[in-house]
Amino acid sequence: MTVDQMTSVTDRRGAAPAAAPTASRPRTSIATRRHRAFYMFASPWIIGFVLLTIAPMAYALWLSFTTFDGISPNWHYVGFGNYRELFSDAQTWQSLGRTGLFAVTSVPLSIIAGLGLAVLVNRPLKARGLFRTLLYLPAVVPPVGAGIAFKQLFDQNSGAANGVLNLFGIDALGWLADPYARYVLIMTVLWTAGNIMIISLAGLQDIPRELLEAARIDGASAWRSFRSITVPLLSPVLLFQTVTGVIASVQTIMPLLLAPDPTPAGITALPQSNYLYMMHVFAEYFAFGRYGYASALLWVLFVLILVATGLIFKATSGVVFYNVDPEAKK
Amino acid sequence: MTATSLTPKRGPRLRVNRLVLYTVLVAITGLFLGPFGWLVVSGLKTPAELAASPVHWLPDHVQWHNIADAFNLIDFLGYARNSLIIALIYATLVTLSSAWVGFGFARLEAPGRKTLFGILLGSMMLPQMITLLPTYLIFAKLGMVDTYWPWVLWGLSSAPYLVFLFRQFFAGLPRELEEAAIVDGCGYAAIFWRIFLPQSWPVLSASFVIAFTWTWGDYIAPQLLLSTDRTTLAVAVMSTYVTSAGTPVTNLQAAASVMYVVPILLIFLVAQRGFVAGMSTTGLK
Repeated sequence: MTVDQMTSVTDRRGAAPAAAPTASRPRTSIATRRHRAFYMFASPWIIGFVLLTIAPMAYALWLSFTTFDGISPNWHYVGFGNYRELFSDAQTWQSLGRTGLFAVTSVPLSIIAGLGLAVLVNRPLKARGLFRTLLYLPAVVPPVGAGIAFKQLFDQNSGAANGVLNLFGIDALGWLADPYARYVLIMTVLWTAGNIMIISLAGLQDIPRELLEAARIDGASAWRSFRSITVPLLSPVLLFQTVTGVIASVQTIMPLLLAPDPTPAGITALPQSNYLYMMHVFAEYFAFGRYGYASALLWVLFVLILVATGLIFKATSGVVFYNVDPEAKK
Repeated sequence: MTATSLTPKRGPRLRVNRLVLYTVLVAITGLFLGPFGWLVVSGLKTPAELAASPVHWLPDHVQWHNIADAFNLIDFLGYARNSLIIALIYATLVTLSSAWVGFGFARLEAPGRKTLFGILLGSMMLPQMITLLPTYLIFAKLGMVDTYWPWVLWGLSSAPYLVFLFRQFFAGLPRELEEAAIVDGCGYAAIFWRIFLPQSWPVLSASFVIAFTWTWGDYIAPQLLLSTDRTTLAVAVMSTYVTSAGTPVTNLQAAASVMYVVPILLIFLVAQRGFVAGMSTTGLK
């Protein structure tokens, strides 16, 4: 009995060489218990991340070097063949360009809109809570609801948008076709600016009141204190919004939801101006079943997103001001 | 002296400013509600009114029976039930698993924890659409297409965003909470289950609501993974409102999409506080 106990103590010591030899038994066992407990608690995420994120990405990487299409039994390894084809395909470059243009316009516009709304509803107003709720509401509407709503709104015959134009004597526009479809797409993003409003609002409320008051006493105009106090203090929030906004716009499926036939097979009928890179991937995946080639397209996009995120962080590293956010320093 | 000279000058100007402010806000709010309002109006028109050009602004007779027709043209309730089952499965599992993982990151220490937490935060930024497509191929290989297993697995593996939400909450609770339990010889699982979980009702409900709305709103995963009978309301509303000849029935589709969206709006309005608190925590930190 006593011998048993002693060996178990030495075993534990042996297993944790980092512990000081003088450490008493309960301390060591609590530490190792904690380590084990941490991994027990973290395991659902670790296992899930490996099986449902890393494994599919690795599988896609392997497929991207093959001609796999899910049907043909004699698919084979082609090395960088898919990548060579991809870079010499005009569709790749055009859809990439459209995606870039979409991100570069919709992200800043929605941040400006969201921040503007936040400043507006941060004022002491009557029914402030109601305005906040109503402005945020569209951000809660599921994408399918948004897609159908915008299709109705911008319908060439019966849409309200052309109805308004008609009141001013302007001819009906084919909003959902080229070249206007891209503007409708941007409007669907702006419609959900309430999201950015709420997050910016939390940031605005963290700005010390004394700071703004001091600036006002010093004679700073509202614009000046917005530019020199509010924006710098909000910069971590704005950076976060920029990064998530870019990532969201790269993978948006809204072009599909605005299309006449919103199934993966209908992608080939999308208006050119909304044929974004992700839609090109979908087309290769589902309309043509070229899993290998589409996987190569996916991996190129993945690397581009990593590079873009890195560039955004790098470009803003001297500008973003971390003070309100003590977590970010670590 | 200064006060009297200031009041007449600033008073009216302020009032005008306020008036402008309210007008701008009301206009913007109207613009934001417009698309949804138009959807409601469109859903109450006759097909002829909806196809009229130039636009027929309001229905001559409000077509209330469109609502019943939208229920009947497709098996609306059946699809709603599928959506509900999937959303409940996912939201329940992912909330519990994320709380579990969040507890680990908040209250326990181990070598490698910081690195893992960094990976967790980074994985929030991974474009999910990119991982979804190869995941679909794997699920297809494993015979899980047209079953709800993918949602079970996604639920069990926790969601980084929600893990972060729980971590922030658990990290703010006092140390003494688990120390007494440790002295009493409680295991960590028991500490989590009996002490921490009951404390976290606000986060649990926020997480559940967020996860539920994600799943209810998701279009692409059910579109890829489920067949036409077992699919969710999102997919059904988007693509099944057609006549037998294949012509879209847009007025019923509009009515159906209103009925598809309204539950989410109601849930949001009821759970608003927790929802927004969760949004801003993860947005800022």
